[in-house]
This record gives sequence, C-alpha cells and structure tokens, in this order.
Amino acid sequence: MIRALALALAVAALAALAAPAWAAPLKDPSRAVTDGIICPCSCGEILTGCTCETGKAMKAYVDREVKGGKSKDQVEAALVSQYGEVILGAPKAQGFNLVVWIAPFVVTVAGFLVASLALVRWTRRRSGAAVSAGAAAHGSESPFRTDPDARLAALRARAEEELRGLRE
Amino acid sequence: MSEIGRLAVILAFIASCYAVVSIAWGLRTSMAGPLRSGRRAVWVVCGLTLLATVILVQALTSLDFRWRYVAEHTSRDLPMMYRVSSLWAGQEGSLLLWLLILSSYGAAFLWAYRKRLDPFYDAVAMVVAAVMVFFTGLLTFVSSPFRILATAPADGNGLNPLLQDPGMMIHPPILYTGYVGFIIPFAFGIAVLLMNRTGTRWIEEVRRWTLFNWMFLGTGILMGARWAYIELGWGGYWGWDPVENASLMPWLVGTAFLHSVMVEQRRGMLKTWNVALIVLTFELSIFGTFLTRSGVLTSVHSFTESNIGPWFMGFILISSTIAAALILYRKALLESENRLDAVVSREGSFLFNNVLFVALAFATFLGTVFPVVSEAVTGSKISVSAPFFNRVNVPIALALLLLTGAGPVLSWRRATASVLKRNFLIPAFVGLLAAVIGIPLGLHGVYPVLCVFGVAFVASTIVMEFARGIQARKDVSEARGAMSVVSLVQKNKRRYGGYIVHAGMVVIFVGVLGSTVFQKESHGPLRVGEKLAIGPYALTLRGVEEKQVTNAQQTRAVLDVSRGGKSLGQARPAKAMYFKSQQPMTEIALRQTSAEDLYMILGGVNDDGSVSIQAYINPLVSFIWVGGLIMALGTIIALTDRMRLRREEKLGG
Repeated sequence: MIRALALALAVAALAALAAPAWAAPLKDPSRAVTDGIICPCSCGEILTGCTCETGKAMKAYVDREVKGGKSKDQVEAALVSQYGEVILGAPKAQGFNLVVWIAPFVVTVAGFLVASLALVRWTRRRSGAAVSAGAAAHGSESPFRTDPDARLAALRARAEEELRGLRE
Repeated sequence: MSEIGRLAVILAFIASCYAVVSIAWGLRTSMAGPLRSGRRAVWVVCGLTLLATVILVQALTSLDFRWRYVAEHTSRDLPMMYRVSSLWAGQEGSLLLWLLILSSYGAAFLWAYRKRLDPFYDAVAMVVAAVMVFFTGLLTFVSSPFRILATAPADGNGLNPLLQDPGMMIHPPILYTGYVGFIIPFAFGIAVLLMNRTGTRWIEEVRRWTLFNWMFLGTGILMGARWAYIELGWGGYWGWDPVENASLMPWLVGTAFLHSVMVEQRRGMLKTWNVALIVLTFELSIFGTFLTRSGVLTSVHSFTESNIGPWFMGFILISSTIAAALILYRKALLESENRLDAVVSREGSFLFNNVLFVALAFATFLGTVFPVVSEAVTGSKISVSAPFFNRVNVPIALALLLLTGAGPVLSWRRATASVLKRNFLIPAFVGLLAAVIGIPLGLHGVYPVLCVFGVAFVASTIVMEFARGIQARKDVSEARGAMSVVSLVQKNKRRYGGYIVHAGMVVIFVGVLGSTVFQKESHGPLRVGEKLAIGPYALTLRGVEEKQVTNAQQTRAVLDVSRGGKSLGQARPAKAMYFKSQQPMTEIALRQTSAEDLYMILGGVNDDGSVSIQAYINPLVSFIWVGGLIMALGTIIALTDRMRLRREEKLGG
C-alpha cells in the first residue's frame, strides 16, 4: 500500500511539473503566454488580468510577437532577457528553484509514509494486546474463538463505548 | 481627545501586564484574590480598547485632520461609511481593531466560563492576556494611531480607492474575527500544557471555539475573493496573492485540526498532533498579519507596509518556541494509547486527510515565502504566483476532495469489505459516469476530469448518507419529505452539519471548475456601433459618457448587451479617476445569473477614439458564493449541537 501511495504521489508530482494543469484549452495563443507572465509594474499580478497601462502595453507586445509567428518559449525567453526571471509567474524547475517544485510532493509523500507506518504499527499493537489479553485469561487461545460469552461481552463493551462516543 | 485615546491604550497595556502577573501569582499560590483581580483586568483591557476605538472612529468621521492617522486615510470627499472603514485601512487602526477583537474574545471567554471556578480557565485567560500585552505594547510604543501633526492639513490624503467598496465594510472585520479568534484554542492548548491537565473535556471546548473561528475565517476568505472579483477587475477571484495565501494557511491547518480532534475525542489518540495543530493555526494567523504589514512580499493587499514586521517575527519566534518547549516538557501528558483496529477505517482516513491539509498549507507557505528565500540564496529575484500554485496545489486539493467523500462513509474502527462495497460502489459509479459525460461536453485534461469525478463521488456519498439516515428513522419519525431531512439533521446536528459543510465544499469545487475550465474571453477595440461577440452574448458600443461621483470622475462605456439576439439592457463598465489619489481604477460591469456571469471591463479610450473592451463569461461563479453560504450554514448547525446536549444534561439532572 505504501509503495502504491508513493508511486501515485510521484506520478502526481510529475504531472504537476509537466501539465498545464487546470487551465482551459486556450484558443488564444497570446493568453498562453500572458497567463504565465507577471506584469512588470509593481502590482505583482498575472499579466492576463492586469489592467494597468504597463500591463496593456505588454499584452499588446505579446500579441504582436505571437501573431508574428513566435512561439510561447521564444516570447518568454525574450521577456526574461529583458526583465529577468522575475517576469515569469513560476520559476523554472532548475537549480535551487527546483526546491519549490519538489518539496511539497516530498513532504506529502513523507507524510503519507509516516502516517501509513504509524497506522500499521498502531493496528499491530491493538491485535497484540488482544492476543495477550486472551492468552492471560484462557491459556494460549483467544477467548473470542473458544468462549462465545467472552466474545459477546467484548462486543457489548464495544457497543457501549461507541454509543457513549455518539452521545458525547 | 487624542490624549484620552493614547492614555486608554497605555492603561490597556498596563492592565494586560497586570492580568498576566496577577493570574500567574494566583495560580502559583492558589489564592483566589489575584485570580479574580487578573480576570477583571482582562475586562478592563476590553473596555479601554473599546474606548480608544470609539475615540478614533469619532476623529475619523469628524475629519479631524490634526490627527496623523485621519489625515493619512481620509479626505473631505470621502463618503461617511468609508470614513468608518478607514479604521482598518491603515496599520495603526487595523492593529487597534485586532486588539479590540482580541480583548473582546478575552471578555467573551471569561463570560462564557464565569461559573467555572477551575483555575485552568484562569490559565487560559492568562495566555490571552499575554498576547494582549504584545498588541497593546505595539500600539503604545511602536505604532500609535493617536499621533497629532504639528500643523493640520486642509484636507487628508484620502482612502486607497481599492478599499472604497461596500465589501470593505465587512470583509476585514469578519476575517479578523476568524484570525484573532484562534487565540482561544491556542490559549486552551498552552493552558493544558502549563497546568498539566489531563482529560478530554477541554478538547470539546476547543473544537467549538475553533469551529466558530474557522467559519468566520472561511467566510472572510470568500468575501475577500468576492471583493477581488468585483474590485480588482481582472476577471478572477483568487490570484494566489501572498496575502490571500496568508489567510488560507491557518484555515487549512484549522480544518485539519477539526478532523483530527474527532479521533482524539473518540479514541484518545493524536494528542500531541492536535496541540501542535492548534499552535500552528494560531502562529499562521499571526504570520498572516505579519505578511500584510512587513512589506517583504509584493501584494495587491499590502496596504499597510511598515517597519513593524520584525516585531511580529519576534512574537512568532518567541510564542512558537515556548509552545514547542511546553509540548516537549509535557510529553508524558500527551502520550496516547494509539491502538487501532484496522488501517482502513475512519481514523485512518482522517490521518491521511490531515497529511493532505498540512501538505497543502506547506506548499502554500513555501510558494509564498520562496521568492524571499530564493533571492537570499541565489541573489536573483523570482516570482512564485498562480502558475506555480495551480500546478502544485491542485493535485493535492483533488486528493483531498476524494478523501472528503471517502472519510465519512468509512466506519469508525474497521471498515469491512461489505461496508466498502455498500458505501463506495454507487458513488464510484456515479463519479465515473459524470466524468465520462463531462469529456464530450468539453472537459480536457486529467485534473478537470478528476475534479468532476470527485465532485460527483462526494455528492453521492453525502446523498446516500442522508438517504440511509432518513430510512433508518422512518419507523420512529413521522416527518416526511423535506421535513424528514430537517428532522434527521436536528437529531444529530454535529454529524449532518459536517455533511452540509462537505456539500458546501463540493458546490465551491463545481464553481471553481466551471469558472476556470469553461471560462470564455473576448476583447478588442470598439467604435460606436461596433459589436464584440462572446459566446451567446453581443456587446454593442453605444458611446462613452463622463460622470462625476462623490470623489471620482468616471469614464463609462455604454454597452448594449444582448443574448441570442434578445436585448438584456445596458451595461456601463468604467474607469474611475479618484481626485485624491489620481489613480485610474477599473469599475467592472457585471451581469450575474446562477449559471454564468458576464464580466465586462473598460480597458480605456484609445487615442484613435476607439474603446478597449474586455469581456469574460465566467460560468458557475455563483456556486462559489452559494457554497460558502452552505458551509457557514453547516457550521452553525454543527455548533448548535452543544446546546441540545446541554439541555439534555440539564433535564437529566
């Protein structure tokens, strides 16, 4: 189960890095660029939604470049060379900035592993306690197998406990 | 009057210090006098803060420009309601509001537990008073709203135009009520550790306080999203702005706590984890306040940049260190039996749900602070914005959505194969069916399809839970139809309140999915008589008009709006030039229906006389706001459960 979880999260991490994720299939190729660019004025907003004069001028520039036949990567590269990487809405997954892309998934996978291990351990502890309680009362066999009264009493106690929980 | 306000804050600082010392002395010596005196001092702080706030509001509404705060945040042309809301438009005023809500929580806490003579509750009050020392200290020594200018200006600077929105009258106070309220669960957690308190009664108290604050914070976040949608004019409602993220983080961790606390109540497990979550929720609330004021990150919400960031960082470091040290010191107190019957159980699902909530909060935190970290390490500036969060947070959020459906229908202790089959088969089938139907309707990509599956899956599990509950009560209840649902909810408000909250969350997911995946956009320059087509709508420019409102000059585009050839009247998106700030602000025009919003923006009037119009069709946005209301309703229902129990306790003697 743990391996399956780790694998599922690794796939999610790769999908996150590779896919454009949530965005709608874009008919407007300019928007594919402006959705990933920050307006160079101090507002810090994504260019698509920015309504300031700087934003409008930059959107017009992107539009011209895309209509002129440049690809998304080419337009982005031109903007990065002019303004620096700060113009990109998300850092490239390289060098130190790889940390921000990887760490959330590492934490998630680690959290799942720890939680899974804890659950397995706590479950074993429970069954170990039941076995030893049975052994103490009836020799080596569990009371639940040999004594129907003991089983009934245990089930009653559990039902009482759960009802108490519901009342609280 | 400013002297009285300043004196009130100074006295509040002294009273806070006195409350801490007096209660600590009373707890140490077990003397009732100092405890009583300390509790009264908390009331005094609340009264003095209220007095200071009233004085400041009076100065703001009467436009007394001798006051620096009034001159900086109001002007003669500012409408009366915004003069009042300018109380929280600047740093000093918003800190005073923080303190007012904080001290009100302190007073409310003392009132709620006035009949409990247990010193444990005094310890809780002491922790609240200690936090009040910090805020009264800031207002006294660092950031006072009661400073007087040497020469009063003829007029003030005015209020930031972005804040001149009716939503600003209620959004910040509601958000603050949520943020600040986490002080009570935090104080309970610290008091438990300080007093070496065993037992689980306190955890039920904390759950209720947390639920109350969580509801306000969630409502405040959605109101902020609504404000951004209307006021910022970019067609969206959530931009993963640092300050938006700051409010989301404590909400996420608080949500994790509200789930894991159930495991502690039922099974006496996860005690350390729960205390850690309480502490983290409070620290993240303070971190959010730090972010809005420190100026370390660029944000459209950072209205109040200043030099008080280090004070907040210091407070976070000190309070979290004390909390961590106490958790370690009282390790034995928090030890649990930690025994489970089976991995596949509700307990197990809550543990994974906690991992995902905390991971989501961590991803949000890391993305928010990473520009600062990266610059410190590499020396070059980067941005971490929506493109990052949409890629990283969306898969985690979708996993959470699926668990939202799975968790409640797994049995406590052990979910057998027959239970799994009975509870999951139909929802999984409905989910798959919805996803299969959705693909030819325009769903593209893994995440939207997964989201549709998750939404249908969770909705089915909720409907099935209600149906089973009604069926089970059929023989004992006479209620039929809609009344049977009401009767069922009344019988177990906590459980079904929780399901209603989940239903609200599902509705929000539908709104987010619809408005993101199916959004349509169109833009272009229009001359009078020309049309802009978007989906079934057509916008025809009829002209441009100028209009003066109270404190701004508006340039409006007059658009005839039609849908499928049928006229829907006129819309007037505008650019407003505020006289004081001389900033052009976007005033959108919005045509809302339950199915979709037509969102219109005036880009500006071009040199050649044409008018730039941008329009969006945002489907299902209304679901987001309705989902928020449903969540709030579910929370209120869950909160009222305690009242029934109290009545039953009283009747039972």
